[in-house]
Amino acid sequence: MKWEVRIAYKRGVQDPEGETTLQALKMLGFEKVERVSTAKLFIIEGECSREEVERMCRRLLANPVSQDYEIRRLAD
Amino acid sequence: MVPLREASDEELAEISERRQLALNLEEMRAIQRYYRRLGREPTDVELETFAQTWSEHCVHKTFKGVISYEGEEIDGLLRSTIARVTRELSPEWCFSVFEDNAGIVDFEGDYAIAFKVETHNHPSAIEPFGGAATGVGGVIRDVLGVWGEPIANTDVLCFGPLDYPYEKLPRDVKHPRFIFTYVVAGIGSYGNNIGVPTVNGAIYFDEGYVGNPLVYCGTLGIVKKSKYKRSARPGDVLLLVGGRTGRDGIHGVTFASSELEEGAEETFGTAVQIGDPIEEEKIKRAILQVREEELGSAITDLGGGGLSSAVGEQAHRFGCGARVHLERVPLKYAGMKPWEIWISESQERMLLIVPPSNLERVLEIFAGEEVEATPIGELIPEPRLEVYYRGEKVAELDMDFLFSGLPRVKREARWSPPELEEPEFEMRDLGEELHRLLAMPNIASKEEVIRTYDHEVKAMTVLKPLQGVAWDGPGDAAVLKPLRNSWRGIAVSCGMNPLYGKIDPYWMAASAIDEAIRNNIAVGGRRIALLDNFCWGNPEKPENLGGLVRAAKACYDIALAYGTPFISGKDSLYNESPLGAVTPSLLISALGIVEDVRRAVSMDFKERGNYIYLLGETKPELGGSHYYKLRGFLGTSVPGVEPSRARRTFEALTRAIDLGLVKACHDLSEGGLGVALAEMCFSGGVGAELCLEAVPVSQEMRADFILFSESNSRFLVEVEPENAGQFEALMKHVRFARVGETSGGELVVSYRGEELLREDIGELKRSWQRGVAL
Amino acid sequence: MRLAELRVLVLRSQGTNCDAETAHSIRETGAGAEVVHVNKLLRGRRSLEEFHALVLPGGFSYGDRIRSGAVLAKLLASRLRRELQSFVEEGKPVLGICNGFQVLIETGLLPFGEVGEPMLALAKNASARFEARWVHLLRGAATPFTEKLPRVSRMPVANAEGRVVLPLGREQRLLEELEENNQIPLRYCSPQGALAHGEYPLNPSGSFADIAAIATPEGNVMGMMPHPERAFHRYMYPDWTRNGAQGKGDGYRIFQGMLEYAAGRL
Repeated sequence: MKWEVRIAYKRGVQDPEGETTLQALKMLGFEKVERVSTAKLFIIEGECSREEVERMCRRLLANPVSQDYEIRRLAD
Repeated sequence: MVPLREASDEELAEISERRQLALNLEEMRAIQRYYRRLGREPTDVELETFAQTWSEHCVHKTFKGVISYEGEEIDGLLRSTIARVTRELSPEWCFSVFEDNAGIVDFEGDYAIAFKVETHNHPSAIEPFGGAATGVGGVIRDVLGVWGEPIANTDVLCFGPLDYPYEKLPRDVKHPRFIFTYVVAGIGSYGNNIGVPTVNGAIYFDEGYVGNPLVYCGTLGIVKKSKYKRSARPGDVLLLVGGRTGRDGIHGVTFASSELEEGAEETFGTAVQIGDPIEEEKIKRAILQVREEELGSAITDLGGGGLSSAVGEQAHRFGCGARVHLERVPLKYAGMKPWEIWISESQERMLLIVPPSNLERVLEIFAGEEVEATPIGELIPEPRLEVYYRGEKVAELDMDFLFSGLPRVKREARWSPPELEEPEFEMRDLGEELHRLLAMPNIASKEEVIRTYDHEVKAMTVLKPLQGVAWDGPGDAAVLKPLRNSWRGIAVSCGMNPLYGKIDPYWMAASAIDEAIRNNIAVGGRRIALLDNFCWGNPEKPENLGGLVRAAKACYDIALAYGTPFISGKDSLYNESPLGAVTPSLLISALGIVEDVRRAVSMDFKERGNYIYLLGETKPELGGSHYYKLRGFLGTSVPGVEPSRARRTFEALTRAIDLGLVKACHDLSEGGLGVALAEMCFSGGVGAELCLEAVPVSQEMRADFILFSESNSRFLVEVEPENAGQFEALMKHVRFARVGETSGGELVVSYRGEELLREDIGELKRSWQRGVAL
Repeated sequence: MRLAELRVLVLRSQGTNCDAETAHSIRETGAGAEVVHVNKLLRGRRSLEEFHALVLPGGFSYGDRIRSGAVLAKLLASRLRRELQSFVEEGKPVLGICNGFQVLIETGLLPFGEVGEPMLALAKNASARFEARWVHLLRGAATPFTEKLPRVSRMPVANAEGRVVLPLGREQRLLEELEENNQIPLRYCSPQGALAHGEYPLNPSGSFADIAAIATPEGNVMGMMPHPERAFHRYMYPDWTRNGAQGKGDGYRIFQGMLEYAAGRL
């Protein structure tokens, strides 16, 4: 099985890399851009259930204070 | 087998081209003759071994070849200029020069300091983050490769102008702003992660770097002389340690020895890697433990050419041969061909040579640091390089031919002075000119960059790159205190003047040496050793090589006169892009000794009411100056160097520093007296009053020329009035003068009773800090 | 117990890089320090119990992959949970510096001394950059680590993830709780000692409420972003050429406070 885990700052937590990217894009003339957020992506392969992947997120991949996670099953 | 014996010249050239060997026809012919003698055809592994071992990057053909220049036959440029300085001076404190991965000089007792500077230009042009990061990783391994503990990094970077118009960029050339941002990020990332402070450097901007940025990376390390092992013998095990081997970096060496052409990204895509500083940190720990227990008999890093260069060179060094089993090399993925394993340049790998009786303990040490270590072969008494893959012999080369069969390169060199003229222009408001100069990217503050580098990890950095009352002034050199129980320190500085080279590479090189040395002297350094790093265009073009010869000749003349030996160096030639050859650039790095770090001097003015002295003579030398550049000129009056006078100045200043008479000292470089004075003022939060007519000049000069001339070998010194007599007595054989006093919050410059300039030092600082934003 | 009899564990893992100077600072303060690889603890070859104090030094443990300090923290929290918890409950001092602070937060030990889910986070600096600079620190709540410091002290920070983040929507409540419990020993401030109020670069990371260090209510566990081992001697200061090279720096006070406390309770 193949899982995609996306870790991003919670809405409301400042995302400095996103903000810097937004400014840079505007400076390059992409004026319609309103917001840029960054996220980290993990692809996890192995015979794991969704519950196990969730436990991975809670135990290691995300800090629940500042980050949200999203899990998606990928086609093998 | 590759059919070579019957090949025509065209076919030889075609084989070299198709296999990316970067060997020229004469070299291919030498190889052909070798196989005709042997009566067989070469294997692909053997051909690749020649390509690596004989590459410009590994063997420095140009610097070791024969050059005809202005009727003179130069038999080995390196030997007859740079290395000759060291040979003629032969100081007893040079422990190892030009033979190791790094130069090594005595420090204190059993301790010595290793210093190496490398370049990583082409990879940084294509993938700036990875290219710069692996440049740092590579030079750190050079220091590990002399059993040294890395303690500091330096970096000097050259980019195109940050405001270069996008529409002028050729296809495949990345914008200087992009390259700048990611090179800086790559250097910071690798150095910070591995925990080696970045303590000294410089950044230059010039149109000549648009297509071909320069990334110089240096590392200093502590060597224990009693534990510096170079005693390998037949029977010793070849131990490959570190990361796994993949296709990365294949043909990196031949890539570095070629010009950057359009499409280089596709051709050499595999030549660029990202790097893993944490892996190298672990390797470092294990190697230092092996050093402490004296378990190894030799060590080297795996750099250009990978195993093929490292194994061959080590066997050659110890006068024996080697046998290697390639299937034992741990791989990142299956499916690699033997020749790919043999020449791969995957990062974070080193080669240790270990007597069999010590192997078990060495493997245990590496396991303890979670680093893979694999015996892949051994040294053998026969002078042969034998390579096996799954029991089959894939190469057998005669060491003698491999290391002395390379036909010596013969090259033509020519140089004629460029057609330039000295400009004529009116003096404008000097206050405004000073503000503009301070904001020029080559002069402006690099604080934003410096702060992304950890410059204090290891807690050895005593004089930091940023100095003064607000911790933001531009220091001349960094001072480190490498040992816990000694006050002795080292001073690290650099010098580079690419603009002068556009007028005359001889005076560019002379000035770079002078600048590196005076930066070192200014903080209290002495007993100075030098490193040279040439970055030049294609040396097969005689006019490129002519400039190189002139620069190398200056290295000999000036360094000899200063008594400063070269201990290590590296050349990177073929720096060409669709925009032409790179601006010829010579970086001189200097390593000095500070007797007691608590006597080191920073460049910020300390308090009001002190005397300001200017040491050295100011001449109408504005050719290549930033003042001319500001006004749109280059000029011809490039600064010269008078070594015997300068040496007296250096020695007198060192004595004054040792006696504690110097409150602040700053060298005069880009922007001359005006810029140096402004920097001392705003770094110390103290103003100054300067009388230009007091400045010792060689002849009658315009006020703006006195203020902004870039004559070499000059310093500004702050001295307390009560020490003035003693200081002046020390300077009696030096051209010097008291030119002003420190005062309130303004910089005031007058000339023959007329006030030329009155600027608030806070405003000057703001101009200076506006120049370069990360 | 005399200072010299104290044995301090300086714990390293792959990527730790401030262990040597940190151990040296402890030795120079008068106690014994030993740098031990975490694998030795995980494999049971060495034990936390052998030591009187624990220091988690700076660096990039496990390359800061995933998040700063997270991998080392989770290894400690899952494999050495009991030993770590009892070490803390016995009142032995635990100091986390920079990456060590990040580790302590990720183990859950900060702020309330319980190994478990993290209740705080250290996020990317507001500047989105690594920041190496000296800062001024205002002494707040009294802890053994900080009681010897002057009201305003100076030390350098060097990090990319030093911005303290409190749980969204509960920031004010938690902040008040931390303040009431005397859990904020150091805050970023101006040279004169006025709180930075988030102003850059006084507060170099954009840390919430200018927090530079956090301690447990009991005070024996503290994490701090600045590096005391780099401010141990005056000659390490960025302006010692103006103010003198002689004497110990503010960083020394941190180690002195920790070690005297450890010696005093035994």
